[in-house]
Amino acid sequence: METILNLDGVSMSFGGLKAVDDLTFDVTRNEIVSIIGPNGSGKTTTFNVISGLYEPDSGDILLKGESVAGLRPDQVHDKGIARTFQSLRLFSNMSVLDNVLVGMHSNSKSGLVASMLRLPSVRREEAAMRARAQEILSMFPGRFSGPRQSQAAGSLSYANRRRLEIARALASDPVLLLLDEPVAGMNPMESHELMEQICDLRDAGYTILMIEHDMHVVEGVSDRVIAMDHGVKIAEGTYEQVANDPLVVEAYLGKRSAHTAS
Amino acid sequence: MIYALIALGYTMVYGVLKFINFAHGEIFTIGGYVSAFTLLALGVSDSMSFATLAGCLLLALLGAVAAPVIVGLVVERVAYRPLRGRSRIMPLLSAIGVSIVLQQLIILIFGPTPITMPTLKIASAAVSLFGVRVRVLALAIIVISALLMVALSYLVRSTRIGKAMRATSQDMEAAEMMGIETDKTIVFTFIVGSALAGIGGLLVLMYYGSLKFDAGFLYGLKAFTAAVLGGIGNIPGAVLGALVLGMTETYGVSMDLGLIAWLVVAGLVAGLYVQMVRVPRHRLLHIANDRRTPDYERRIMNVYRLAPYHAVKTLLGERTDALLSVSASHAVRLTVGNIFLAATAAIFFINGSARIDTRWQPVIAFVVLMVILMFRPSGILGEHITEKV
Repeated sequence: METILNLDGVSMSFGGLKAVDDLTFDVTRNEIVSIIGPNGSGKTTTFNVISGLYEPDSGDILLKGESVAGLRPDQVHDKGIARTFQSLRLFSNMSVLDNVLVGMHSNSKSGLVASMLRLPSVRREEAAMRARAQEILSMFPGRFSGPRQSQAAGSLSYANRRRLEIARALASDPVLLLLDEPVAGMNPMESHELMEQICDLRDAGYTILMIEHDMHVVEGVSDRVIAMDHGVKIAEGTYEQVANDPLVVEAYLGKRSAHTAS
Repeated sequence: MIYALIALGYTMVYGVLKFINFAHGEIFTIGGYVSAFTLLALGVSDSMSFATLAGCLLLALLGAVAAPVIVGLVVERVAYRPLRGRSRIMPLLSAIGVSIVLQQLIILIFGPTPITMPTLKIASAAVSLFGVRVRVLALAIIVISALLMVALSYLVRSTRIGKAMRATSQDMEAAEMMGIETDKTIVFTFIVGSALAGIGGLLVLMYYGSLKFDAGFLYGLKAFTAAVLGGIGNIPGAVLGALVLGMTETYGVSMDLGLIAWLVVAGLVAGLYVQMVRVPRHRLLHIANDRRTPDYERRIMNVYRLAPYHAVKTLLGERTDALLSVSASHAVRLTVGNIFLAATAAIFFINGSARIDTRWQPVIAFVVLMVILMFRPSGILGEHITEKV
């Protein structure tokens, strides 16, 4: 199996706090890997380091064997890593369709003069992009149909905004998709639906690295689970292995519970 | 109308960066100075053939665009980019600093005397339009501003870079992670804004024939006012704001007080209508149905129709019931408003023949700004590059 993402001893600290400490793991093609861990364990920081928002203090991040550590976020995105955000960060004044189109920004080539003059090549490209955006949106049947696409993203329901974030990330056809708590705030039915859609994405060929707190979802979709605490990877393996790991139980429930559990 | 070109630059930078580029006025001055310098160096005069003249003007235009763009880029790189992501006050202070530095630079390079451009016939040519003589240049300014506004709106709304600008404006970090080169986008914004200011500089220079080193300050301030007036960050808003500001400045000073007094009277009449008909109706909507007996409705109506009478009654402490007293205190305020308007009208009528001095021009402009912002804090067309379209 081809390795898509490879974190090699990545460390990141803010002042005296080591948010991520010597983290090493791989993600292989067509796999869903979930990162779990209590709040403040460094999961989102890991995502931010991967997507280029922070430069790691030490260690390297390889995407298909090519280092992406220290690149700007837009360059990382161009290399093929797209992400969603835990706290939604849609462009809420822009329309649903425009949000997806922004996700395609780096795929489009048309220059300024050409697009001001609306040359035929630009028009063709734009039509193709719109079609692709609609195709992506249709992945969520009934959620973004017809007039909804021209609505401002800010007017969508919470769950739909989560879906739109995923659609926007998919727009660039990423090599690796980072999902930061995709089902947060959804009701059980919605999260179950999204879970299936995430599995569909894997079947469609996407590779997904996901942060999730909902253990039901983690159990349902993950091929592999990585548990973190205080910036350190404390366990890795299948859901069952990780969920029964005494260190993981301790991290979530405290020392005494870990003893009673074991 | 010239404010429009400068206001567009303010609005664009604000729209993307949420930051007011106070050095924008100086960039405008630089545009004017460089084009004047080019024209002087080329020795432009009316004796030249039309083709050479056109060529020289084109060259001046090129200078008027190129120099401000370069300055704008340097300023962005040196003074603004290092401060990005800090608190908002820092780039603001930096901008004021840059504005002072640029002004001094102009003095150092071109000297403190106003730069004057050679007199040209086309600059003062005029045509008769509906019986009024209008300078061709004034018309050109209007047409150019309108065209640029349309082009800019289109740029922001429908092109790739425009989408990048809108995304950057809303969430810079998220935009970056969606593959948008935010630095490039911001640089582009500065290029466009500075180019517009430069064109503005050239046009003002041609219109007035000369330009002083500190001209950018007042023009910048007024353009900024225009941008805020129309809703900062909003492209058509900037042009509309400039139009409103320019109109009030021009017509504000040519109006005599008698006319203003009549306007106040009109306001008073409209106010009385609202007070006697609309307000009581509105109040009645908030009163529970079981209390709305015809008698009660009449009493509420009376509070407003006979507002002064009820005002006096309230002040004397004769209150009937809770609801009526709320209406009555309302009536007191309305009465005070009526008296104020009537007094203003009276004062203006007494000085009816006096005219407002041109020195009052800026004052009028800012009074208009205050009044509009009081009733519509987000400007005439609302804020933000994205909200309107």
